[in-house]
Amino acid sequence: MRKYWEISKTYMKTQLVWRADVIFNMIFTISKILFAYLLWGIIFQNKESVGMFTFHGMLSYYIVSSFLSQLEMSEGISNEIHERIRNGTFSKYIVIPAGIERYFMAMELGIVLFYLVFDFAAAVVWIFIFRIQFVFTTQWRVIVCAVLMAGLGMIFMIRLNYFLGILTLRFEGIGTFLMIKNNLVSLVTGSIVPLALFPETVTGILRLLPFYYVTYLPAMLFTGQCQEEAVRGLVIIGCWCVLMQSAIQNAWKKYFRKYDGAGI
Amino acid sequence: MNKKNWRVFQELFRLRFHGLTVFRFDFFAPFFVDGSLFAIQLLAFGAVYANVDRIGSWGRGEMILYIGTFSLLNAVNMTIYFFGINSIPYKVRSGELDLYLSKPVSPLFRLTFENISPGAVPLILMSVCIIVYGIASLQMTLTLVIAAAYIFWLVLMEILYYEMEVLIRSVSLYVVSMARMEQIEEAGLDLCMKLPGIALYGVYKVIFYLILPYGIMATLPVQSMIGELNLQRTLYGIGVVVLFTAFTCIIWKNGLKHYNSASS
Repeated sequence: MRKYWEISKTYMKTQLVWRADVIFNMIFTISKILFAYLLWGIIFQNKESVGMFTFHGMLSYYIVSSFLSQLEMSEGISNEIHERIRNGTFSKYIVIPAGIERYFMAMELGIVLFYLVFDFAAAVVWIFIFRIQFVFTTQWRVIVCAVLMAGLGMIFMIRLNYFLGILTLRFEGIGTFLMIKNNLVSLVTGSIVPLALFPETVTGILRLLPFYYVTYLPAMLFTGQCQEEAVRGLVIIGCWCVLMQSAIQNAWKKYFRKYDGAGI
Repeated sequence: MNKKNWRVFQELFRLRFHGLTVFRFDFFAPFFVDGSLFAIQLLAFGAVYANVDRIGSWGRGEMILYIGTFSLLNAVNMTIYFFGINSIPYKVRSGELDLYLSKPVSPLFRLTFENISPGAVPLILMSVCIIVYGIASLQMTLTLVIAAAYIFWLVLMEILYYEMEVLIRSVSLYVVSMARMEQIEEAGLDLCMKLPGIALYGVYKVIFYLILPYGIMATLPVQSMIGELNLQRTLYGIGVVVLFTAFTCIIWKNGLKHYNSASS
C-alpha cells in the first residue's frame, strides 16, 4: 500500500507545478453555478417550487453536484491510456513495479485530495457571492451514506474510464467515443438538470444505472432529499463497481496480447 | 471569392478530403460528438419544460428553436472553419505560420478553408430538423419575410462566431500562452449554448451581449422569427458585428506584425 500512497503524494505535488491551472479551474466552476442561477432565477420568478425543489434548494443541489463533478476527473485516465497505446508508450505503465489499475487509482486519489480543498473553497465562495441560503442535511447517517456513495461513484468512474482506455487495444481509435461518452455522462449524472425533473419512468431506468449514484444521488442526499434511497443506492453502486472490475479483468486478459509497444 | 481564391479553395478541399477518409469513423466525429451534445440539450430542456410552462417569455417551441439555431451556427462553424482557425495558436508556436505568410494567398483565407470537415454536414441537416421541429411546436406560419429575416440574422451571427474565433486565437500572436483565452471561450460558449439571452440581465448581459457576445448569437435570429426583435435590438446586433469585424481586422493584422517566426 505504501508505494501507492507514494504515487498519490507524487501526483499531489505535481499539481502544484501548474498553479495557474488550479486557480483557473476554481474560477471556472462558476460557469455551472451561473447557468443554474440565471436559468432557475428566471423560472422561479413566477413559481414557489419546481418538482421537489425550492429556488435555494435547487441552487444548493447545483453547488454540491458541481463540487462532486469537478472532483471527478477520471476521464483523463481513458484519454491517457488511449493516447499511450496509440503512440506505443503505454509500456511505461507495464514496466513500473505496481499494478496498472492501482497506479491509476492512486494517481486519481492524489489529484482528488489536492483539488478537494480548492473546490471546497470555490463552492463556499459561490454560496456567498450568489447569496444562496444553502440547504444541507443535518442527519449524520445520511451524510455518511452520501460520502460513501460519492467515493464508490468515483471508484466506478475510474474503473469505467480504465476499462474504456484498454478497449483501445481492441478498437484502436476510441477518441470520438470518449467525447460522446463525456456528453452523455453530463446528462445522466444530473450535472445539467436534476434527474428528478425527468418523467418517473426515465428516473426508474436511471436508478438501475451506476451514473445515478455518481453525483446526482449524493448531491440530493447532502441537500436533504431522497433519503429513503441511500442504502439501496450504496448496494447498487457497490454491485456496479464489482461488475466493472470483472469487465476490466476480462478485457485485459483478452486484449493485452495485442499490445506490441509500436503504436498504431 | 475571386478566381485564384476559388482554385485554392478547391485544392484545399481535395487535400482535406483525402486526409479525412483515412480514418473513416473519425470522418463523422464532429457529427457524432456535437450531435450528441445538442440532442442532450433537447432532452435536458424537455425535462425542464415538463415541470414549467415558460422560461421568461419563452415556451418549449422557442427553446427548441433556440437549440436548433445554436446547433446550426455551430454546425456551419464545424463544417467550414473551426478546425482551420483552431490550429492558429499551434502554428504560431511552432513557427509553421511562416509557410502561410510566404504563399501568394491570404494566410487567413488558407487557414479558414484548409480544414473543411465534410463529416459535419449531417450536423447541419440535424440542426435544420430541430429548427423545423421548433417551428412546428410554435404552430406559427412561416412567411417568406420571416424566413429571409431569420436567414439574414443567421449569416450575420455566423460572421460574428467566426470573428470571435479568429479574435481569440489571434491573441497567440501577442502572448506566449493563450490556454486561458480558450478556456474563457469554452466557458462562454458552453453557458450561452444552454442559456438564451432573454435569461441574462445586469452585468451578465453586458458580458454576454457585448464583451463576449455569445449571448446574442442564437437569441437574435430566434427573436427575429418570433417577432420579438425591435429596431433597437436590430441596430444593436448589426452594430456588434460591425464592431467585432473592425476589432478582428485590427488585431489580426497587427498580430502578424508581432509574429517573429518560430521564436513566437
